[in-house]
Amino acid sequence: MATVQVSEAEKVYILHGIRDDLRVDGRGCEDYRHMEIETDVVSNTDGSAKVTLGHTAVLVGIKAEIGKPRPMVPNEGYLEFFVDCSANATPEFEGRGGEELGTELSNTLYRVFNNKHSLDLRSLCISPGEHCWVLYVDVLLLQCDGNLYDAMSVAIKAALFNTKIPRVNISSDDEGGKEIELSDDPFDCMRLDVENVPCIVTLCKVGHRHVVDATLQEKACSVASLLISVTHKGAVTCARKVGGGSLDPESVFEMTEAGKRVGKALHAPLMALLRQEESLGMKRHKVGFLG
Amino acid sequence: MAVDMRLPTVKSPPVSVLDRKDLVVPGDVITSDTGFMRGHGTYVDEDKLTASVAGKVQRVDKLICVRPLKTRFNGEVGDVVVGRITEVQQKRWKVETNSRLDSVLLLSSVNLPGGELRRRSAEDELTMREYLHEGDLISAEVQSVFSDGALSLHTRSLKYGKLGQGVLVQLSPSLIKRQKTHFHNLPCGASIILGNNGFVWLYPTPGQQEEEAGGFYTSLEPVSLSDREVISRLRNCLLALAAHKMLLYDTSVLYCYESSLQHQVKDVLKPEVMEEIVMLTQQKLLEQES
Amino acid sequence: MPTDTKRVRGPEVSQSPVLFGCRPAAVLPSHGPRADGRQRDQADVRPVFVRCGLVSQANGSAYMEAGSTKLMCCVYGPRETERKDETDMKCGRLTTDMRLAPFSCPVRGSWIQGTQDKDLSLMLYESLQPAVCLQKYPRSQIEVSVMVLENSGSVLAHAVTCASLALADAGIEMYDLVLGCSLCQDAGSYVVDPTYAEETSCGSGGGLTVAFLPSLNQISGLQSDGEMSEETLTAGVRTCIEGCYKLYPVIQQALIQALRRAAPPPSES
Repeated sequence: MATVQVSEAEKVYILHGIRDDLRVDGRGCEDYRHMEIETDVVSNTDGSAKVTLGHTAVLVGIKAEIGKPRPMVPNEGYLEFFVDCSANATPEFEGRGGEELGTELSNTLYRVFNNKHSLDLRSLCISPGEHCWVLYVDVLLLQCDGNLYDAMSVAIKAALFNTKIPRVNISSDDEGGKEIELSDDPFDCMRLDVENVPCIVTLCKVGHRHVVDATLQEKACSVASLLISVTHKGAVTCARKVGGGSLDPESVFEMTEAGKRVGKALHAPLMALLRQEESLGMKRHKVGFLG
Repeated sequence: MAVDMRLPTVKSPPVSVLDRKDLVVPGDVITSDTGFMRGHGTYVDEDKLTASVAGKVQRVDKLICVRPLKTRFNGEVGDVVVGRITEVQQKRWKVETNSRLDSVLLLSSVNLPGGELRRRSAEDELTMREYLHEGDLISAEVQSVFSDGALSLHTRSLKYGKLGQGVLVQLSPSLIKRQKTHFHNLPCGASIILGNNGFVWLYPTPGQQEEEAGGFYTSLEPVSLSDREVISRLRNCLLALAAHKMLLYDTSVLYCYESSLQHQVKDVLKPEVMEEIVMLTQQKLLEQES
Repeated sequence: MPTDTKRVRGPEVSQSPVLFGCRPAAVLPSHGPRADGRQRDQADVRPVFVRCGLVSQANGSAYMEAGSTKLMCCVYGPRETERKDETDMKCGRLTTDMRLAPFSCPVRGSWIQGTQDKDLSLMLYESLQPAVCLQKYPRSQIEVSVMVLENSGSVLAHAVTCASLALADAGIEMYDLVLGCSLCQDAGSYVVDPTYAEETSCGSGGGLTVAFLPSLNQISGLQSDGEMSEETLTAGVRTCIEGCYKLYPVIQQALIQALRRAAPPPSES
């Protein structure tokens, strides 16, 4: 991740501030920065979303393709994640610099979605053993100002909500083989149920307390963070400790509890906002990248 | 815990940008009159003076130059800057000041501890890292400009030196107004250093004047909660003013602070609150001028 | 996906015969005793066999067997680092590399490091970094490489333990030994130190791996997979810590024995 340098005195100031629950920009320890979400920004995709969290900007595009299901699970489709750290975000990502970070982010996404309930993969099956929908989720980091995991997971949830998969008809042709027909009507499509898609919350341990949605300066003062992905019911689908420091078991338990609380509270406003955006329909004034 | 999610909105464009005649883009012909001298940001093409940067045309008698609207810091002698040490070299420190090249702080340009006046010895060279090491923030003045454009800084006054606890805000250098002094003790309870290079440093007003330490001793005592709130509010106000491209100087910052008192500190960063506060500040400034 | 251009592989559509053969009972019973006689819902780890110093070329090495899981770790360093960045001046650099040999799992893997290997290497790095005193080795580099010879479950946890033994064998200064323990959550009950069969048939629950520093009581690595509630996660972490404490005396003994073997005989006079 892009790093900034902080002097010792600045670190002490940030530390004491977090201890007193007043961060540098006036937020409390569990407050998020201003977030802006917009879906359907890229027209070539089946679903897309752009999320801006403070100065971090993430763009997610989802394309659905017909492929062969995995041999072990013939009646389910699957998701493929790819995260690209664009050199636009910071000069450190130029060339192969961003590759490591990109691999780390995509591996975490695989882990987060690696359970039965996040997304109903059976609904992605067309004909068992032969054809299924494969959703390619491509994440592009446009700007990096800390807290990439949270922004990314909110964007993926919004993009999945926005995804419209065309309906297919299977008919057998003359030789007995299967023929796939996509329905011609652009509005005849299948939507995904994103109620159970989890959101990732990153908690950084600074001093003896933890903060949610850390900026780059606060990240420079913390030694370890806990990443926890939470569904709207409060179930944890993935937990990971990142960073080069160690954590006390008691602080791990505290952070898990706080993460669950914060994560659970993220889903309701997000779904409400997505539904509101959809209900605006044609009247919605698309901002895209010009805002 | 609070989450503020919303749909994005198009920001309304600033008023009356269309009738500014002194704005040029690269390739625009400024004048065909050969009586003018060309300054920065221009070049001569077949006797025509053409702009090479996108910015505002400035004319001083016979000199025409174009000042770009968004630029790295181009330092001049006497500017006050706030910078961060990036490297400790043989007899000097390299300081990052948001300019084209890293600025240089020579060992001979800093005050020794205790205020001694003597030649720097080999021992001083070895203890350089103890005074300033990578990541430290300093406030300094530009002493001279090297031929390649790098700035040479000095901290040979008691008001310059290593900075202690506080908050750094990074803005564009073109937003800082040139004034007689850049160090202000604001009446709201915090102090501010408006560096010409766009780096603004906010810190709690020091209680009593420290003795001849001259910037060596940085207090690591916790800052009180009320001071912290003032500093956070000032930081958010600075960001609000910068987002609306307003010139920054002590009066504008103070008026913005006063207009923001009715909102909570973290709400100041919301777009609609920012607009409201900036409008109130602009009104107050107009009233004060008239 | 990276393709291996140096080896002649079989046809693209080759599949493992496991798919064609009759699949064994896919889901192991989630109640009752485990296949190898250990208990459920208790911190019952497999007995561990450890030997240090097997690879004479490396500065430090360790070989570990836990049940059928066999892994080997070599440590090279500290030695001069090639890149001299800013950060290298103050503290050393630790690089970790964890690989599963292609024949280690029932389904053949590939020699090129896939994403799973990279993920495991990153987890190993994050678990070891808090324990090694890197600031005592400025401008130096320590390379830890773990090779899994047979994967019979909870491979990351044992790799962490094996790597910290190899680091101790190499004489690298550490704050504490790092021990790893993993468990598998399965609909109400859990199994500690699962075997490969128990891991793959985890069902609706998930897996959890914890890397722990016993003397300092600090968690240096935590990774969980699969859906579980927060209380289950907390209880699982506590169980893993208990498992690590059970492992601690065995590892300490093994290290002391290795030291005794390597130490010169006590002088006669």
